[in-house]
Amino acid sequence: VTKYIGQRILRNEDPRLLTGQALFVDDVEIPGMLYAAFLRSDYAHARLKSIDTSAARQRPGVVAVYTAEDMGEDWKPGPPLVSPPPTVKDVEFYSRTQVPLVKDKVRHAGEPIAVVIAESRYIAEDAVDDIVVDLEPLEAVVDLEKALEPNSVLVHDDLKSNLAACMVQIKGDYSKVREEADLVIKRRLNIDRGAAAAMENRGIVAHWDAKSHFLTVWDTTQAPIPIRNGLALRLGLSEHQVRVIAPFVGGGFGPKMMMFYPEEMLIPWISIKLAKPIKWIEDRRENFYATTQEREQIHDAEMALTREGRILGVSDIFLHDTGAYDPYGLTIPLNTQCHAMGPYDIANFYSEIKVVFTNKIIATPIRGAGRPQGIYVVERLLDLAAKELGIDPIEIRKRNFIPPESFPYDHKIIDQAFSPLIFDSGNYRPALEKAATLIGYDQFVREEQPRLRAKGQHVGIGIVSFIETTGVGPYEGARVTVEANGKICVATGVGTQGQGHFTSFAQVVAEQLGVNVEDIILVTGDTAEFHWGTGTFASRGSVVAGNAIHASALAVRKKILKLASEILGAPEDELELEGGQVRVADIPHQSISLGELASRANPLRGAVEPGTEPGLEATAYFGPKYGATAFGTHAMILEVDPETMMVEIKRYVVVEDCGTILNPLILEGQIHGGVAMGIGNAYYEKLVYGENGQLLNASLADYLIPTATEVPRIIVGHEQTPSPLNPLGSKGAGEAGTIPVPALFAQALENALPDYDFEIIETPLSPNRLFELLYNKEKTK
Amino acid sequence: VKLEGEYKFNGPREEVWKLVRDPEVLASALPGTKSLEHVGENEYKGEMNVRIGPVSGLFSGRLVVSNEVPPESCTLTVEGKGSPGFANGTGNVILSDLGDGTTLMKYVGEMQIGGKLASVGQRLFDTASKSMIRQGLESFNSALQARMAAKSGEAAFDYKPASESKFIAAIAKDMAGEMLSSKRVIWIAIAIVVILVIIAAIWISTGAGG
Repeated sequence: VTKYIGQRILRNEDPRLLTGQALFVDDVEIPGMLYAAFLRSDYAHARLKSIDTSAARQRPGVVAVYTAEDMGEDWKPGPPLVSPPPTVKDVEFYSRTQVPLVKDKVRHAGEPIAVVIAESRYIAEDAVDDIVVDLEPLEAVVDLEKALEPNSVLVHDDLKSNLAACMVQIKGDYSKVREEADLVIKRRLNIDRGAAAAMENRGIVAHWDAKSHFLTVWDTTQAPIPIRNGLALRLGLSEHQVRVIAPFVGGGFGPKMMMFYPEEMLIPWISIKLAKPIKWIEDRRENFYATTQEREQIHDAEMALTREGRILGVSDIFLHDTGAYDPYGLTIPLNTQCHAMGPYDIANFYSEIKVVFTNKIIATPIRGAGRPQGIYVVERLLDLAAKELGIDPIEIRKRNFIPPESFPYDHKIIDQAFSPLIFDSGNYRPALEKAATLIGYDQFVREEQPRLRAKGQHVGIGIVSFIETTGVGPYEGARVTVEANGKICVATGVGTQGQGHFTSFAQVVAEQLGVNVEDIILVTGDTAEFHWGTGTFASRGSVVAGNAIHASALAVRKKILKLASEILGAPEDELELEGGQVRVADIPHQSISLGELASRANPLRGAVEPGTEPGLEATAYFGPKYGATAFGTHAMILEVDPETMMVEIKRYVVVEDCGTILNPLILEGQIHGGVAMGIGNAYYEKLVYGENGQLLNASLADYLIPTATEVPRIIVGHEQTPSPLNPLGSKGAGEAGTIPVPALFAQALENALPDYDFEIIETPLSPNRLFELLYNKEKTK
Repeated sequence: VKLEGEYKFNGPREEVWKLVRDPEVLASALPGTKSLEHVGENEYKGEMNVRIGPVSGLFSGRLVVSNEVPPESCTLTVEGKGSPGFANGTGNVILSDLGDGTTLMKYVGEMQIGGKLASVGQRLFDTASKSMIRQGLESFNSALQARMAAKSGEAAFDYKPASESKFIAAIAKDMAGEMLSSKRVIWIAIAIVVILVIIAAIWISTGAGG
């Protein structure tokens, strides 16, 4: 029985966050600090003919202006984040990474051309307007299919085509089962772009101290350690001369995992050049142009089934839009590929990825990271098949789930981390059944819906299952220290962007050391505190960092017991840790506090015995063999207003199984946030590009994110199937809330409007788009 | 963005043509125009203040007249850029003599817009540009009347190009009109008046003015 793990403990960090006592990058103020503003291209595709910065340089208060030319030898395209998969043959991959400032050609609207450093942001922005830049517009590559036509304009002139990568993964023999199938559902599914729209935009403060030869960088990154290592390498410094701090960050969602953004490399570089602290804070409009986006794909997908609704095979040939560069390799489309079979036992699979360069903003993972697209494809095809075969949506899912005895289930293809795609554990049916019960599926379909329909209300129900591959390697680490005041300090490398790390990680330590969660101080995202690790992404915090923290807490527990055993004169197995004390089980007054023990372990006089270490401290690491796969079911009841096409969500249910739950309160918060984002993805948020590559809704007035009125109360039910891959048995949950929502919306909308002969095979929708889909459709009844 | 339309001038084709080719009239017809100078035979350079919804700023640009067939038709090519972004376009203008002393102008053009103009002003651009063209042409027509009156020695026709603020106000009205049906406009107007009255009443009763 656990005392701390699994408890609904209020978040340690909230008092600070809610009272404005938490440090964000923009809070950093350093005397003598200068401010940066960027000149960004208005064109999506253009040749840079000339640039004249003389007027900007003369403006009072301007300290420096840099163009690509001014960077000289230091101008280099950014390093790729991930490499193409080495284990699969016949992979084509052309790596083209983002540049710090445009040198020859602009490849997307908003690409930075020059940067002004001035005494204030106001002056810097005015000086940006002084720069005269001559751009020769080129035809923009926007449409994914046209981009691959032989006569298309090229995004990268040195390549033969706009193909960035292609890759095929095969399991079984799809073409054979297609012949044998009773039914083949074949559709083209379009998925468009969205933004992460984090509440806090990106920001960087870089401070080069010329006297101590030390660079400190505050960065809204999800990956402070790789940023430090990369900066040191690029700037010719030792890693110990660079400290990167990712303080509190107002939402990551993936784009802050991108390494390196042009600004991330430039601001530190300029700080060293000028020996001055420099601040750059992205504004909201810049965020639409300068921060990465995701999701655009076109799928030509098929599902072959028997008359009974058993899936024989799936084929999915798709185009993935990577934007102007492809620093993130194949991560997103590989995730799509790995989720296009959903939670189903599918023996035959053919999937072909074609990644396309376009004159659009770079695509890198956003919460879900290719998974929502894969789930959308498989769930939509299954829904259409169910309709065709006259099988209930719940029943057809049950008939196809991977049975619980088949785990670990090896898909025999590779995942985004180039590891084998193996589902470690799962039990899908109870999650589906629990969701159906919580939403009142049978009762709604039998009684409520007919009654409401008779009254002329357009109500619909949807239920969709999903999986989420989480917790990938390579590794994370942590250091746990007992301090002389009895408090515990935990340092880990992953950054924090609101996930509740200060509490859930503290619970893992509290479980081993028997201290109150409030007495555990967590330090994250500061390379001076811990400098081994990768970052916060792929729903891996609780799995990879969580288990590293668990391992270090266990090691410290061992040290505590050993020392306490000597001092208290009792065998280790008779000692217990509780309330910050170590005591002998049967003799409670015979005890010593952890603080006293820590002092004794670090004496000022005497000798620490050879072979032992001072203090009560331990560092440990954890790296899983492969990722753990979470799963669940979402269900919703919605009502459509046929006049405005506005949707009201009447009830929303999530049943989530992410293995061992560390803190249900935090887990539910993650799910609520994920669903809110998913609702945006499904019905509101779409980035609209014009045919010349212009982003036409780059403001929160036109790009609509769901607000409190669009997000319903969400009922969360939990199931726990622990992962066998790690000691805590945990799986990730960060992206789960987002993944199935577009597929769920589609099913529920179709169910709400049975009188129309229409199919939803695209996302995001909007009231306007739904109107277009229904307009001109004759009512079938 | 596609721009297309027609406009009837109360005057003969030759006069309309002369007017169109007169940079001063051109500049005055589009308020916000800071300058327009003749830099080549068929080329003008100028600066213009533009405001479309939340996007505003100074545009500097070039206007080239080509394919001239006086007094029938010509092609106008515009390239403008400034802090709000850029707007490039080409349009064909055709003047036909309607035989009754009036002239019909038809225009067809394509505009490419970018920067803030596209990303923030996009949804207003269509209405705003139509409104600007309509007002510009109305100004033209007034100028035409003034000119013809002067020629025939009649009482001088009072021609005053619209001021920039009037011009902007008219665009705003056009945009609002397009977004709201007239019925709703009335209700909104009533609502605003009611609110103003209430605010005034509170203001007076609390003596906040003192």
